[in-house]
Amino acid sequence: MSKRVLLADDDQLLASLLNFRLEKGGYAVHHSANGKEVKEYLKNNIPDIIVSDIMMPYFSGIELIDYVRNELKSKTPIIIISSAGNEQNVLTAFELGANDFITKPVSPTELLVRIGREISK
Amino acid sequence: MSISKTKGLLGQLVQLERTVSEFSFEDLNANEAKVLKNSFDTFRSSLENHIYSPNEIQAIPEKIEPKAIENKNISQKQFIAHISHEIRTPLNSIIGFTNLLNEEKLTKGQHKKVDAIQFASNTLLKLINEVLDYSKISSGNTNFETVDFNVHSLLHDVMFLCETLIVDHRIELLIEIDKNVPKNIKGDPSKLSQVLLNLLGNSVKFVKQGFIKLEVFAKETYETNCVLEFSVADTGIGISQEKIDTIFDRYTQAEDDTFSKYGGTGLGLTITKEIIEKLKGAIEIDSTIDKGTTVTFRMPFHYGKAVAVDTKIDNNKAVKGKKILVGTEIMVFEDNQMNQRLIVEQLTRWGCKVHANLTLNKGLQILATKNIDLILMDLKMPNLNGFEVSRAIRSHKSSKVNTTPIVAFSADFTEHDSNDCKAIGINDFLLKPYTLDHLMQTLIKNIKAKVEHADFASILQKPMIEPKETTVVDLNLLLKDCFGEIDMLNELIKLFKLNAIEFIGNVKIHLNTDNLKEIALSAHKLKAGFAMIKADGMRKLIIELEACCKNDQPKKVRELYDIFLNDYPLLEENLNKALNFLNKK
Repeated sequence: MSKRVLLADDDQLLASLLNFRLEKGGYAVHHSANGKEVKEYLKNNIPDIIVSDIMMPYFSGIELIDYVRNELKSKTPIIIISSAGNEQNVLTAFELGANDFITKPVSPTELLVRIGREISK
Repeated sequence: MSISKTKGLLGQLVQLERTVSEFSFEDLNANEAKVLKNSFDTFRSSLENHIYSPNEIQAIPEKIEPKAIENKNISQKQFIAHISHEIRTPLNSIIGFTNLLNEEKLTKGQHKKVDAIQFASNTLLKLINEVLDYSKISSGNTNFETVDFNVHSLLHDVMFLCETLIVDHRIELLIEIDKNVPKNIKGDPSKLSQVLLNLLGNSVKFVKQGFIKLEVFAKETYETNCVLEFSVADTGIGISQEKIDTIFDRYTQAEDDTFSKYGGTGLGLTITKEIIEKLKGAIEIDSTIDKGTTVTFRMPFHYGKAVAVDTKIDNNKAVKGKKILVGTEIMVFEDNQMNQRLIVEQLTRWGCKVHANLTLNKGLQILATKNIDLILMDLKMPNLNGFEVSRAIRSHKSSKVNTTPIVAFSADFTEHDSNDCKAIGINDFLLKPYTLDHLMQTLIKNIKAKVEHADFASILQKPMIEPKETTVVDLNLLLKDCFGEIDMLNELIKLFKLNAIEFIGNVKIHLNTDNLKEIALSAHKLKAGFAMIKADGMRKLIIELEACCKNDQPKKVRELYDIFLNDYPLLEENLNKALNFLNKK
């Protein structure tokens, strides 16, 4: 069975490309464009890995990490997507339990390598 | 027991105190001077406390049972460990404040005196560190590892390090490992290399010409274990017979003028002997004046299991990695000369420009004036440790300095350290011993992070953007990312155009109310799209627009928006052309 990736990103353009590449890479992708949807989805599903943008409407990537680690008590690996100049956010994300991060502009190839690495850990 | 050692300490102290008292404090910032003086007083009184109170213990009557003597020895060693530690803390403040003092506007004469204080206190610190190291080992406070390791690769690593130490080509470095030496043994590899490096390092110091030879063979072999004999022979200045008898004593050097001629604290061999004996081995020296010296030691080892050696990099990856690393400038903070040489050597081979052998001030200066891509930081430097150096870099006022990626490396990486790293803003870590592959990957990963920054910073410094630049696009990379599937590319370009239209509308609305926060958000969202189609000029404009929003410059935001409105149609035209071209293909 293919591994399930939750992709949380409000940028439709980037999400489409990543979605395409993840599916090509053999993953089953669920894409949510905002934090509310992400939360709904996580109530009934625990994916094998979560890839989330830091900046999202309603529910930021930081809040998402907090929710997964502290409310759901899940150890599902989380990779966050951040923009340059957002180092403080990245540090906070790591403190809350993010496993890795990737900076925009995102190289899909690099993201796939990082996902593979987290999943095989 | 340690009169000469105490003498050494006192000599340093007297020198330190003299230089401090000669210093004209009146001319200084009053506060700085006060702090400096206070920390010195604290240091002195804590030293006095330690010296005068434990002396009473030594006044115990002459006749003591042998066991009591042993106990006394242990407690004395622990006492030394303790006092060395206590001395380090105030000494660190002396060094720290002296460094600060050196940054102030001083007269030439004052600078000279501060330099003298710096030199004396650094020497004292080095001495204390060695005393501490020695007492830790001899009082049994050091943990010895038992792990499987490949003794052959350890020996070759050690020889490689030594090679980098030899600057004189009249010295030949030889190694001979007997066939009967097992490949893998169980023991403490770091202690074994410490011993070997110490002995070989001594030879390097004392040999002017000739050779240094390391020989290893299995002296005794049993079913599960063996005794390995290592010998380091050189054609150095040699040691006289009567000196050989005392050479392992604490704090003795062969001749009274050895220190002034060759440096060192005189503790190296003592530490070496302690380590060997703690590992149930034995060491001996044979030497002839002016002919040379041979140091031989034997140690028992259990046979070990094979360990995966992972020092070679996959060739393809290495070539790619090298391409990225060539021409990058890397700064190395590492106090251990051997390790520093090793890493500098490696980085140079990859084509990096390396800045090493630095004080904090020198480092900050270079960071401010040159384009450093990455800083490698040893966390366990005895002087000013890696955390403090990193903190100083991160809190520097210039963004050019404080954004440079820092990769920390350390031999023991406890949870505590890792939290500290995050808090200070250290970007990544390398655990010693690291493989070359790992080193390269970590460098590449973190250098990339910097490129983003450099981009950002250079744009802010350059407000004028050539109009033409803003209309350029390149779809080849994106097509590659789509695995050449043209339908996917068309889909993405459609989405991109929608985003751009949405952006134009959003900014128009929010400019009416000067809602720069919303505009910044819209701009932020659009950046990724322009990056994907490699419209770097337009992307820079968007980044500048975002920055102007954050700096509350509505007038500039309007100007940039006008450029965008003017240039975007041209960009879209180029985009369509490029897409048509690819579609026809």
